[in-house]
Amino acid sequence: MLQCIFLLADNGAVILEKQLTGHRVDRSICDWFWDHVISQGDSFKSMPVIASPTHYIFQIVRAGITFLACTQVEMPPLMGIEFLCRVADILSDYLGELNEDLIKDNFVIVYELLDEMIDNGFPLTTEPNILREMIAPPNIVSKMLSVVTGNSSNVSDILPGATASCVPWRPTDVKYANNEVYVDLVEEMDAIINSTKQFSLLHARFRDGVLVKCEIYGEVQVNCLLSGLPDLTLSFANPSILHDVRFHPCVRFRPWESHQILSFVPPDGQFKLMSYRVKKLKSTPIYVKPQLTSDAGTCRISVMVGIRNDPGKTIDSIILQFQLPPCILSADLTSNHGTVNVLSNKICTWSIGRIPKDKAPSLSGTMVLETGLETLRVFPTFQVEFRIMGVALSGLQIDKLDLQNVPNRLYKGFRAVTRAGEYEVRS
Amino acid sequence: MAPPAQAHRSPSPSQPSGKGEVSDLKSQLRQLAGSRAPGIDDSKRELFKKVISYMTIGIDVSAVFGEMVMCSATSDIVLKKMCYLYVGNYAKVNPDLALLTINFLQRDCKDEDPMIRGLALRSLCSLRVANLVEYLVGPLGLGLKDNNSYVRTVAVIGVLKLYHISAPTCIDADFPPTLKHLMLNDPDPQVVANCLSALQEIWSLEASTSEEASREREALISKPVIYYLLNRIKEFSEWAQCLVLELVAKYVPLDSNEIFDIMNLLEDRLQHANGAVVLSTIKVFLHLTLSMTDVHQQVYERIKAPLLTLVSSGSPEQSYAVLSHLHILVMRAPFIFASDYKHFYCQYNEPSYVKKLKLEMLTAVANESNTYEIVTELCEYAANVDIPIARESIRAVGKIALQQYDVNAIVDRLLQFLEMEKDYVTAEALVLVKDLLRKYPQWSHDCIAVVGSISSQNVQEPKAKAALIWMLGEYSQDMQDAPYILESLTENWEEEPSAEVRLHLLTAVMKCFFKRPPETQKVLGAALAAGLADFHQDVHDRALFYHRLLQYNVSVAERVVNPPKQAVSVFADTQSSEIKDRIFDEFNSLSVVYQKPSYMFTDKDYRGPFEFSDELGNLSIAAESADNVVPAQGVEANDKDLLLSTSEKEEIRGATFNVSGYSAPLYDSSAASVQSELAIISSTSAGSAPSSSLAIDDLLGLGLSAAPAPEPASVPPSLKLNSKAILDPGTFQQKWRQLPISLSQEFSLSPEGVAALTTPQALLWHMQGHSIHCIASGGHSPNFKFFFFAQKAEESSNFLVECIINTSSAKAQVKIKADDQSTSQAFSDVFQSALSKFSV
Repeated sequence: MLQCIFLLADNGAVILEKQLTGHRVDRSICDWFWDHVISQGDSFKSMPVIASPTHYIFQIVRAGITFLACTQVEMPPLMGIEFLCRVADILSDYLGELNEDLIKDNFVIVYELLDEMIDNGFPLTTEPNILREMIAPPNIVSKMLSVVTGNSSNVSDILPGATASCVPWRPTDVKYANNEVYVDLVEEMDAIINSTKQFSLLHARFRDGVLVKCEIYGEVQVNCLLSGLPDLTLSFANPSILHDVRFHPCVRFRPWESHQILSFVPPDGQFKLMSYRVKKLKSTPIYVKPQLTSDAGTCRISVMVGIRNDPGKTIDSIILQFQLPPCILSADLTSNHGTVNVLSNKICTWSIGRIPKDKAPSLSGTMVLETGLETLRVFPTFQVEFRIMGVALSGLQIDKLDLQNVPNRLYKGFRAVTRAGEYEVRS
Repeated sequence: MAPPAQAHRSPSPSQPSGKGEVSDLKSQLRQLAGSRAPGIDDSKRELFKKVISYMTIGIDVSAVFGEMVMCSATSDIVLKKMCYLYVGNYAKVNPDLALLTINFLQRDCKDEDPMIRGLALRSLCSLRVANLVEYLVGPLGLGLKDNNSYVRTVAVIGVLKLYHISAPTCIDADFPPTLKHLMLNDPDPQVVANCLSALQEIWSLEASTSEEASREREALISKPVIYYLLNRIKEFSEWAQCLVLELVAKYVPLDSNEIFDIMNLLEDRLQHANGAVVLSTIKVFLHLTLSMTDVHQQVYERIKAPLLTLVSSGSPEQSYAVLSHLHILVMRAPFIFASDYKHFYCQYNEPSYVKKLKLEMLTAVANESNTYEIVTELCEYAANVDIPIARESIRAVGKIALQQYDVNAIVDRLLQFLEMEKDYVTAEALVLVKDLLRKYPQWSHDCIAVVGSISSQNVQEPKAKAALIWMLGEYSQDMQDAPYILESLTENWEEEPSAEVRLHLLTAVMKCFFKRPPETQKVLGAALAAGLADFHQDVHDRALFYHRLLQYNVSVAERVVNPPKQAVSVFADTQSSEIKDRIFDEFNSLSVVYQKPSYMFTDKDYRGPFEFSDELGNLSIAAESADNVVPAQGVEANDKDLLLSTSEKEEIRGATFNVSGYSAPLYDSSAASVQSELAIISSTSAGSAPSSSLAIDDLLGLGLSAAPAPEPASVPPSLKLNSKAILDPGTFQQKWRQLPISLSQEFSLSPEGVAALTTPQALLWHMQGHSIHCIASGGHSPNFKFFFFAQKAEESSNFLVECIINTSSAKAQVKIKADDQSTSQAFSDVFQSALSKFSV
């Protein structure tokens, strides 16, 4: 049970405070917390659950805003963290994005939301659809109007009907002129690529990818713009490849158990229907071959990037990022394609974009080591980003999407995209 | 701690200085209060916003309380909400003014709009002013009967708030029975969930004073209520599901059919999108099956995938919390996760606290089949930019080496680390090589060759330096330069800042002296002199001790300093398994994240139900902490009686080795070193003076058992047992399941034996002296239960024993299982004779 929620700006100042129980949590806890964060270097390095001298603190950071919750009693830790994540999601949903000024401009809405989301320290309603019915989000039109006419009301005149609904995630009386439903497969490929170690006399490390681990984490995202109370069924051509699945509460369990069919009454609008994992993939779409040779205080680097397995669609937004080891004094890097940037904190970014047809992109250059250091002993890890539209690399395919009581005009759309998640190539 | 200073830190340029603005606001509000002009609500809204924003940034605007209340007569819901917010914030400090708000709040409680009714009721209950409770009862009673579920939801929590302000008022108004009725009958699941949480809290707080309340609290975890809630579980919101699942975890089913019914019903909860629900479900599963070993294993298999998915999806914060839970499961059942080791590979971008957990798990799941890959992966991290992680991973490689039997490849890797020319890598690797040598002396030649080439100048860290010095002393006969390196180190005695290093240096010089006297004599003199002059008490004492020992008798000194050593089989675990068990009992709680049981970190003030009864609100937690109080207070007494399983036993063993190989103490634990010091002293007295202390006697006995002939008289010639028998708990369990009972007997215990059996440990030590080792023990007086094992001296034939001792009847029931059935009678005789000698 949470006792208090604070929102902190990126300088540690309290933007907002919401006391939840009769036990009042003093603001000084935020000072303690901020000192703690500073002593840890930066907030990403401090743990999500911290024991302060007086309270246990949950913290998450979103877009520079720290969401802080305090408690003095034992409770399930994920409940605290999940709830804070939910608060952050809903706030950014309501406000369009998250930043200090937006929260300050709309803090009445934020208070209203918190009021409905948690009572006496126990989470209540966190379904965006229900909240939307209780508290209307500030939209641009009403903001414009309020500027023009000086008149605004962000409160819907409708009473909270959905709280009593048998399908709590769906508002009652949804009406659309055009009925549309879009299903997106969004996949992220997590991979670690190593090489067999080969030490040459010159301390060169030649590396060709050995796939240490390759997995796909995927989500089925649905944008549902359907009238009434639609009942949908979605089936896959090859559900057996899914290793583990998690569902939105709307999904009925039995049809999935018996036939691997997703049967559900969807929430209105955009939502995550399910997430899944596909294990042990055998190949990656692109290769990255780094080669580092160091001798007598200088290190030659060369990195080649190319297509290993053509997925059939364009691979774009390829970006390679790596942190130069601290022992490197200066680096002179050039590429035959794309742009190379070295920031002051020694993070090097190579934006490739698409791989050209006629040549393989490569990056090469020399790096000067610290004086006294002959050879490089710490090797950078290359983090790769890419995006492939139109393909789900796991191979998952949607078979069909059916709708009971088909309305007159219905449009069904399917898309797929694969991105690199945690995709690392170790040199 | 500094008082809140945010007001000064706020970057806003329009920062009001305080007083002036507040009085300005006050007059503006006053003007608006009476006005009924059109558009007045918008100007009010602007002003209210300003007031609230001042309040938010920490400026005291309680001065405008009266004006705010005057302005609150409005139909605008946003204005109302802002007003409620303001009133809620300041009512507690202005109880007199709060009275002013009662009127309009009560009126709003009868509003047509259910939203306003609910909001007003919530604000009314949030005033938390003790002398206003009389005004709460009426609206709450109406609210509970309201036909809108939103109002009922608010009213139920309102009852709980009322209880915290004034418990008697709440009880007198008969609210708890009303809530119970609502809980079992209301169509709205959120109302039911709120009733449940309110009742849990109220009844567990009442339970200590009222019989009825404690009965009611028990009734909450009775079959009808649990089944009623479980049947509706899909209707509940995700948070309410957590609440119900927490309750179900406390329910004790009658038979296994019930267990399976519940698990089948809840299985789909493992696929819920909310991690909190998944973890609560896992907790239920684990608790339900604790007594069913096979099913428990299956549960692990079943929950593996959802947990691993939870870790890889979601935000880093969620991942961390899940990972902490995964960590505890992996530590309990590493073999189940052995094939999933790749999930514990560290990603470059992960924060170091996550990497640390993952390294520990990688270490735990390492087995024969995956060691090679895991060690390869760990070696990648050794070249990592993140130095603490690089260190951790080298330590992990060492730990794996110490766990495994086939360590050839690992030793090579470690020696490669030594050649990496990075000071921290060298330092960590040195410490590990030392530990490895203690366990696998057969590798000394390979290691010494590499270690010898390391210049002591390049090693600065005390732990590493101590390790290097230990190796110099221990293997001085194999290292040409050992006496001379020690000499140069002794010359720099004054510059050596670490007492630990100086202690090791003293011992190493002593050892070296016994092996190569002519070369070392000079150094020994210098070292003893320097030690005697040392300002550090321990160093001084050890030097003095060595000095006198040498004066007394050189050969005795050699026996003390350089006894024949036996390889260390298992090093002590840093965290006892008992604590791990306790954390496991608190699965899905903060304990897991902190890796400490709650009694170790929860403030005493917040453990008991009464300390926070008037402060805190939530229910499930209060109920839980009420339950926690008992074990927390009983800890002292229970500690000795709780299941004493392997790692604890290993600790005992480890301590023993400290006696024989004390020159490289692994333990910072002062108790262990005290014991070893004691043992040294008693062994110097050559065992002639019988020690009065049982502990010393036992330690001494153990120390002697390391000597070649372990009390041969106690072992009948028919059967010789291996005094260094090793069996890991997993194998034991497996064998115990597989083998038939070959003998089942009942022995009598001598009265002295019964008297000495105050704690199970005493018997463990005794039996170990007879080459019968304990793998697990537990129980409370008068009933103790032990599992022993022994191995034949020549062949690896095992005997497994279950021994139940009842101290009141002085009887021991013994079940023996054996690999070789024909020898079980002989072993039984050995066992009986050993048992009969206990404390004689």
